[in-house]
Amino acid sequence: MINMFFHNLKYTFKIIFKSKSLIFWTFAFPIILGTMFSFAFSDIEKKEQFEIIDIAVVNNPLKENEIWNTFLKELSKENENQILNIQYTDLKQATEWLEQEKISGILNLDSEEVLIVKKNGINETILKFAMEEMKQTETLLKTIIESPEEKQMLFQQNRNKLFENIEKIRQETTNSIKDISTNNMSYTMIEYYTLIAMTCLYGGLLGMIALQKDLANMGSVGKRSSISPTTKKTMILSSMVASYIIQIIGISLLFFYTIFILQVDYGNHFFLVILLTIIGCLTGLALGIFLASALKASENTKTGILLAVTMFGCFLSGMMGITMKYVVDKNIPFLNQINPANLITDGFYALYYYDTTERFYKNVVSLILITILLIGTSIIFLRRQTYDNL
Amino acid sequence: MTIFKTFLKILNKNKGIVILYSIILIFFAGFNLQTNDNTMQFEKEKPSIFIINHDPENTFTKEFVTYLKNNSEVVELEETKEAISDALFYRSVNTIIIIPESFGENFRNQKNPEIEIKCTGTYESELTKMMIARYFNVAKVFFSISSTEENFDKIKEIVEKEMKIEMTSKLNTQELKRVANYYNFANYSILAGCVYVICLILSSFKKENIKKRTIISSINEKNYNRILLIANSLFAMLLWFFYCFISFFLIGDIMFTKQGVGCMINSFVFTFCAVTISFFISNVLTNKNAINGVVNVLALGSSFLCGAFVPTELLPESVQKIAHFFPSYYFINNNEKITSLENWSLTNLTPILTNLMILLGFSFIFILFNNFLSKKRRKSS
Repeated sequence: MINMFFHNLKYTFKIIFKSKSLIFWTFAFPIILGTMFSFAFSDIEKKEQFEIIDIAVVNNPLKENEIWNTFLKELSKENENQILNIQYTDLKQATEWLEQEKISGILNLDSEEVLIVKKNGINETILKFAMEEMKQTETLLKTIIESPEEKQMLFQQNRNKLFENIEKIRQETTNSIKDISTNNMSYTMIEYYTLIAMTCLYGGLLGMIALQKDLANMGSVGKRSSISPTTKKTMILSSMVASYIIQIIGISLLFFYTIFILQVDYGNHFFLVILLTIIGCLTGLALGIFLASALKASENTKTGILLAVTMFGCFLSGMMGITMKYVVDKNIPFLNQINPANLITDGFYALYYYDTTERFYKNVVSLILITILLIGTSIIFLRRQTYDNL
Repeated sequence: MTIFKTFLKILNKNKGIVILYSIILIFFAGFNLQTNDNTMQFEKEKPSIFIINHDPENTFTKEFVTYLKNNSEVVELEETKEAISDALFYRSVNTIIIIPESFGENFRNQKNPEIEIKCTGTYESELTKMMIARYFNVAKVFFSISSTEENFDKIKEIVEKEMKIEMTSKLNTQELKRVANYYNFANYSILAGCVYVICLILSSFKKENIKKRTIISSINEKNYNRILLIANSLFAMLLWFFYCFISFFLIGDIMFTKQGVGCMINSFVFTFCAVTISFFISNVLTNKNAINGVVNVLALGSSFLCGAFVPTELLPESVQKIAHFFPSYYFINNNEKITSLENWSLTNLTPILTNLMILLGFSFIFILFNNFLSKKRRKSS
């Protein structure tokens, strides 16, 4: 019996490795897709962050408008808080630059301060914000100076001194906002996690193909296997072990590729990542066995259904747009709690983003339950399956 | 005519899969357009925030919270740690502001209380930080002079002062961005649709027996190829027509503008180019089972590289350089140019026309390759 186990194991390996399309979908496709993700997303978060904005200042009465000048100097000073890169020029030149999108806006300090922009956008919004801040501080100064209260003496009547004091308050204010954000905020990681989930579930294809050859109703090989003296249990078990080993090899390659080439961050819990992957692969295998045994259809239809189920699961867990996962998690949580692709994705997300492992284990337990359910149902379908004729 | 009829027969035989594939691709495009509204829009005027207020009764805190609410979009969330953390990670909220107990009292007494924030580090969260700092600044100045209730009105008056803004472009940039997004996605839908269907149909023409019979027939090789190209182009044009037709419903009236029509013309030229690419691939591919893999790799690859899914300006520079080798790049680049074009003078149109010429150039090269390969194959068989 052990001999037959290894014999079947060996031939399952051979069958799987000889199927080019199977190898493509389970080994090559995830790697290709991962590479594309990295092309598309590697800069997206960097570019989403704050950048220095180019503007032109025109009609600048340098001497008359000291408040604006001091502010502009402050905002364009080359340090970590720099917001603006300013060029002083005339209106004609500035309009030309704006048209060519060399600058994001023109600050016209003629009679009333006006900000000229070409369109709506990130830079334009920030620019509007910064300019408003200047305008408000200017009004603030005027309000205090014009106020009859003697208490303004606190600032002394020297206008420059007053301005300095406001600047001092501004510095203090920055210190009173305490940023307690965590570092692991890269949401594009979710894309790579769905990729791992997809690969785990695509592994079901291997299980499915391996099982087909043991089923009498699926082809001549199945018929011959069924009448051989080897027990069905041995045949199926050895086919599954072979598929699982190949699946683990495939996913390990993907892990190596994503960690060392694409620099994907899976958090700091190395063993838990492995645990989740091993269980995820098992769920994929169970899904493949379930579909192969439960459906009475051709091999192509079964493969199509498995691919469709996997892709739909990945779609709900954020592969085609990260927002989708959040929308489903928030509005139809049940759907994502029974979706293996999401449970795997969410498990990686929990390890990456959360300090505690509570959410992670919840996902792992759900995955185990789904796997047991799928295998249990498959056993019911497979046992005592005998045919008088076919 | 015989070839054309055969083409239609095969198309009819495969109609199920062809219709299904076309609908799925167009559905993807529509869906992408809807979700893009949430993920790729940077034009939000107001940053989205969530406030955890441990000092709700204090007047100062109340005023501050009202100011925040007026100047940002306060997202409604369940007040559990998990819900809040998830919202921040998925950018549903950009900043979480935690107001500590007795904050208002301490602020009025100039004890410099700290406010805690959790943010995504994006420009929106920077805006929120600036917004908070602005309020504190003004409030501190007034409270350092006196701590009367009148201060609230003065603070309010100042922080609500707005800057006068003039916008030079009269274009509806928000709507036009949707047009560009939809037509950029066409790179995937049209390319995948054409390659898949055309390769599927042509594989039937390439069956050993049929091929041999065609070779010994009197029909000229070039003529044969030309009729097949026209027949397949007809299918592709149908796909293009549907894609454009649906855009009127999904995007709306803006499709009737010059920019909308420009994008349709651009996608027409690209569809032709996609047909020639499909021909080329069907000539190179010998295995029918490989079609699915090639379609996915080619359509997804060029879409990711050339900016169909993610705006080109967000792609790394090296990727943008590689993208120049793909026709998709010129198609997508043209969509961006057309939707931001205000003055339709010849000078401004030149770069767009150049891109169209490049697309036609690509098509010409593929046709040449195609004729060369099929001639070579014919001789060898």
